[in-house]
Amino acid sequence: MIGALARPATARLGRPRPLLVVGGWAALALGFALAARSTGASHGADRALADAFGALVLPLVAYSIVGAALAGRSLTGGAAAVVAFGARPSRAAWVLVAVSVGACCTVSAPLAAAVAALAHGASDPPLVNDAAASAYVGLLGGAAYASWFSMGATLGRRGGGRTALLLLDWLLGAGHSVPALFVPRAHLRSLLGGAGPMSWSGGASAAALVTITVVCAFVAVSRSRRP
Amino acid sequence: MIVLDAVAARRAPLSLAKLSCSWGPGAHAVVGTRADGGPLLLELVAGRARLRSGRLEVLGGTPHDDDVRTRTAFVPLEPTLPEAMRVRDVMALAAELRGEPVRDAAPRLAALGVEALGPRRVESLSPEEMHAVALAEALTAARVQVLLLVEPLMDLDPRAAALVAPLVRARASEGCAVLVATASLRDASELADDHVLLRGGAVVRSGASPADLVSLAPTGAKVRVVASDPQALLAAAANDPAIEAIARRDAAVVARGSAVLAVAAAMGRAITASGVRVVEMALEPPSPEELRAPPARPERAP
Repeated sequence: MIGALARPATARLGRPRPLLVVGGWAALALGFALAARSTGASHGADRALADAFGALVLPLVAYSIVGAALAGRSLTGGAAAVVAFGARPSRAAWVLVAVSVGACCTVSAPLAAAVAALAHGASDPPLVNDAAASAYVGLLGGAAYASWFSMGATLGRRGGGRTALLLLDWLLGAGHSVPALFVPRAHLRSLLGGAGPMSWSGGASAAALVTITVVCAFVAVSRSRRP
Repeated sequence: MIVLDAVAARRAPLSLAKLSCSWGPGAHAVVGTRADGGPLLLELVAGRARLRSGRLEVLGGTPHDDDVRTRTAFVPLEPTLPEAMRVRDVMALAAELRGEPVRDAAPRLAALGVEALGPRRVESLSPEEMHAVALAEALTAARVQVLLLVEPLMDLDPRAAALVAPLVRARASEGCAVLVATASLRDASELADDHVLLRGGAVVRSGASPADLVSLAPTGAKVRVVASDPQALLAAAANDPAIEAIARRDAAVVARGSAVLAVAAAMGRAITASGVRVVEMALEPPSPEELRAPPARPERAP
């Protein structure tokens, strides 16, 4: 049953357009990494990960993946095709969120590791450790953003809240005060070597990303359950 | 199978107020425009709209029960099918989700004459083809016991149009409850055995035969005759007292009167008198506008 519910979303993600868009953003991240390497920056990985991957590429990759999984519609609209055949709306919504989270993690973790490896500078931590840590952060960040945008897709008739949450993340996440605690951007920056919100530790930011993933997924599913 | 007891629902600007109806196995029509709430009623029965008050029972449960949901098929005018999948895979997916064995899609699609769409991707289908595929899925799903169809003959692939009515009646005779929401009395009489007329979200009339349908219009009943010489027929019928209004429409003459049998008899007399050859004679269902017209008031004495 779960496999059947996931089939439409995975088919949407396998279409050429989403693959090209996500591939384009990934190429941009790798381009930033190569540029950092070519300038010989001693903290090249930190710079490429924090300035390009975390701040720009990962949110946009997640935004594109969630949009593609939902066919550009709201979470309810994205699940409508399987609900029409008798699937329970909440179950269909859970599967859509899970597919989005899984697809984001599948892209973001290896991409983060690749960026860290390509941009690795002399003062960065050992390459293998740095790539593994980056993959872990990419995984957490990808999951949080996918869940965040899935929640956004429950706002508005056509899921326009997804764009609103992208802007909100950029606006609130740029700061270090209390509002930044509630968006993924500030915690991701903290884990990628930048300053955390309210001076939170890396561990606290990791826990915050997990919390954002879980809470946003629950909110998204509970909102899409209503007829 | 479907019981509505003082049901109220609202989806701005439409609303259903204190609706009480019940439908068992068979083909039933809910006649009314979109503004009258027919599609909203079907959405309610399908569990896609929220019930504000009253009691709604479908297959002995609520529309949200898992078992009821898989045995209910709702086909709106613009159905949503999973993009990026091939039509035959969509049919397999639907069978899997409904909990029935996956069968070859070709014969299921062939029931509506659209088996050629099987290998096509959903995003390549026209809205008419998509409507036909959704109808084919709903009408051939073995587990489905309640079929809710919004305007099933409108915006439909021409290959499927002629096959829908027999398939609907076949499913109804197998014990399914088929509920059709339509603004066309012609479609209602073709698809269903009984009819309720919705107006402004309330049931205003009901009928069980085409004659009942024809008499639903407050403006009276209409009889249409296609004849070899419509002008001669028009001239012969024009002065009959049973006919209140008469007009020629291409090869047809349409006569209106207060009583359907009297108008039919008058047209019969005119056919005999004029000696024209009759190609077709049929009752003309009223249009939605005629159904919405207020009933004629008796004239007052000065």
